[in-house]
Amino acid sequence: MSHDNHDPLDHPEVKIASARGYFIGYAFAAAMMFISLGLVRSHAMSPAGLATTITLIALVAVLAQLYFLFKLDLSESQIWHTVAFAFTVPLFVMAVGLTLWMFHTLAARTMLPGMGM
Amino acid sequence: MLVNLQGPWDPIFGRLGLILQYQYNNPVIFFAFELSLVGGAIALFWLTCAGKWRTLWSDWLTTVDHKKIGVMYIIVGLVMLFRGFFDAVMIRTQQAMAVGASSPGFMGAAHGYLPPYHLDQVFTAHGMIMILLAVTPILVGIMNIVVPLQIGARDMAYPYLNALGLWLTVSAAALVMISLFVGDFSHAGWVGLIPLTELPYSPGVGVDYWIWSIQIGSVGTTLGAVNLIATIIKMRAPGMTWGRVPVFSWTTLATNIIALTSFPVLGVTLALLTFDRYLGTHFFTASLGGDLMMYTNLFWIWGHPEVYFVVLPAFGMISEIVPTFSQKTLFGYVTMVVASMAIAAVSWSVWLHHFFTMGAGPNVNAYFSIATMLVGIPTGVKVFNWLFTMYRGRLRFDTPMLWAIGTIFLLISGGMTGMMLAVPAINYIVHNSVFVIAHFHNMFLLVAYAAFAGVTFWFPKVFGFKLDERLGKRFFWSFTLGSIMVFIPMYILGFMGMTRRLDYISHPAWYPLILAELVGVGFYAVSVFFFLAQVVVSIRNRHDLRVGADAWGTSRSLEWGTHSPVPFYNFAVTPMVHARDEWAWRRENKLDSLKPDHYVDIHMPKNTMVPLILGMLSLVLGFALIWRIWWLAGLSFLAIIVAIVVRSFEKDTGYIIPAAEVAAMEQDYLDRAREVESAGEKVGGGAVGGGVPAASRAPWNKLKGD
Repeated sequence: MSHDNHDPLDHPEVKIASARGYFIGYAFAAAMMFISLGLVRSHAMSPAGLATTITLIALVAVLAQLYFLFKLDLSESQIWHTVAFAFTVPLFVMAVGLTLWMFHTLAARTMLPGMGM
Repeated sequence: MLVNLQGPWDPIFGRLGLILQYQYNNPVIFFAFELSLVGGAIALFWLTCAGKWRTLWSDWLTTVDHKKIGVMYIIVGLVMLFRGFFDAVMIRTQQAMAVGASSPGFMGAAHGYLPPYHLDQVFTAHGMIMILLAVTPILVGIMNIVVPLQIGARDMAYPYLNALGLWLTVSAAALVMISLFVGDFSHAGWVGLIPLTELPYSPGVGVDYWIWSIQIGSVGTTLGAVNLIATIIKMRAPGMTWGRVPVFSWTTLATNIIALTSFPVLGVTLALLTFDRYLGTHFFTASLGGDLMMYTNLFWIWGHPEVYFVVLPAFGMISEIVPTFSQKTLFGYVTMVVASMAIAAVSWSVWLHHFFTMGAGPNVNAYFSIATMLVGIPTGVKVFNWLFTMYRGRLRFDTPMLWAIGTIFLLISGGMTGMMLAVPAINYIVHNSVFVIAHFHNMFLLVAYAAFAGVTFWFPKVFGFKLDERLGKRFFWSFTLGSIMVFIPMYILGFMGMTRRLDYISHPAWYPLILAELVGVGFYAVSVFFFLAQVVVSIRNRHDLRVGADAWGTSRSLEWGTHSPVPFYNFAVTPMVHARDEWAWRRENKLDSLKPDHYVDIHMPKNTMVPLILGMLSLVLGFALIWRIWWLAGLSFLAIIVAIVVRSFEKDTGYIIPAAEVAAMEQDYLDRAREVESAGEKVGGGAVGGGVPAASRAPWNKLKGD
């Protein structure tokens, strides 16, 4: 549009894309998912331990996806990626953190003690 | 893998055998069917007789012009607004007919004329349509039209993606309309009350219609959000620093950050529900590790930001309209921008107030209560800024200004009742009552008021002529009477303990107030008539209603610095921005000539039919998934992938308009503008010589004409 050059491959946003990065991101996300699935299917831990472990694995998977698939990092050259990355953190803390807090109190107040979770 | 289904299933026709079980002798549905059939036939007949098929195809269906896409978004929104209004009429008439044990029943209903199962579908469709397929497309349409013009861009950052967003929204709307005649719609409320949406409780296809239409539409909205954010960040005209971006574009940025971050949550939530219904997982069931509350939680993590997604553009439009008709700059630009961003930020931490009563601890409720009340601070800042803008301004009460002032009134009343609901103690009392309904209709009406303000305000920019003022004012007043008569009784009924979603009113003492609401709906019906009359009369009188570049004479931002109607390339040469209120600055410095010293080549995107094809394919995909016709779903999904891949290899997506051709087209526009100017006492400012000086636009001159 307002650019004079219309070859998409010349855009810096496109240039930083790499097939290797996407493949690693995908493989990593898939691996994390299969590990979680395996843990759940084999009942490897107590329900509470399982929930915690899966939550941690999910966190790792999210970070890997942000880096490998969305190319979000703290570089100076891609300032809008840095902004997006910095913006992800409070959103993540709010959405996931507040949800955890709320479900924790909900479980404490409404679930019978000793029934798991 | 797949869940065992009740009822018929066939490898070729999927669950379509189910439709034999639905009753098609219902006069209500038959009326709707006839209405759309006759309407559609008339439209097709007119298109053929007037020879408009080619125009329709090349000017509209395959266009990537942001203004035309915006207009189509608004038309889809208005059609769905009308459909949603019909649903509202049915709800109100049903309740008015079903008061007391002796109220008669018709057409299979014990009371009134809608059996509970049908009424449940009606209010589900009403809510879902009004929020996702009426208000959202109208706002997205206005953002689409106005933002590139305000920031001096030629088009959106991704014109092709823009068209795709439109056609996905259209196919979502089409799915909902199809559900009216083929099968049924969800009966579980627009929020998808869990576990009602689970397969054992809703074995039909209604919930699937609801899921897939929202899912397809929200993909469109997310793409639109990406596009608008990229446009505002990357495509501002030279000189337009962040401190000079018009407030509407700022609120659009805030809005679309919300959309981009919240709509994926909705997508995931509905996907999990889809897994429950199709694959037999247990994310939201009470058994096998599922959690009912998780659905409500996830839904509102999207749902509350969505409230600010619709309200922030409304604030932006008011911030453009109030200064224009107060003939002053906006008071407190910086605080306005900060307030918009603050609302966007806080929008992410308030969602739990939608389920204060579910059993969370006092600390949790207190936290979310305080977070909710925090929204009142930036909103209050905004209201005061508008009031200070009006203070000692030369106020003119053209139709957009009336709608804008109505918006401020509704914001104050809706905000106050919102503050009440933010107190958990009050919430425990009025929870699930029609008080809540009145509150959020109050807020959505605010958005509708602002949208009507915006449409009337920017209409002359897009089409080159104004909407009829007299009928516009009648539309405003009848709509306002309707709002007062429907929602004040509803607030009162809420305090009296009337719960929401009733198909039968057991308490005869509520009857007078329910009748008052019915009268209000009557006023709304009158307002629909005035709206249609306004459009028809304005189109008929379009020659007399023509305007110059600055349609209102006192406009302030950059979009008024190009011709009305806007050429498809927006600006003949990319404008250089000098001030926050660029057009007002140019008018004051007599730099408002639209004739540049020389013309340059313009690069424009080519029309493409791929977005239309993708939209239609996703409609087929949605329909196939709803009826579980797997071969068709697989085929259309494959076709979507193929179309995307083929399009991505298309290198030749733009073309150049040579400078000479631009000069010729510009000359036509300048001639037209001169003609409008010389026609004498036309409403609005000139295009060639610039805007009318503010002094001659004093309010008493204006009022004499009305």
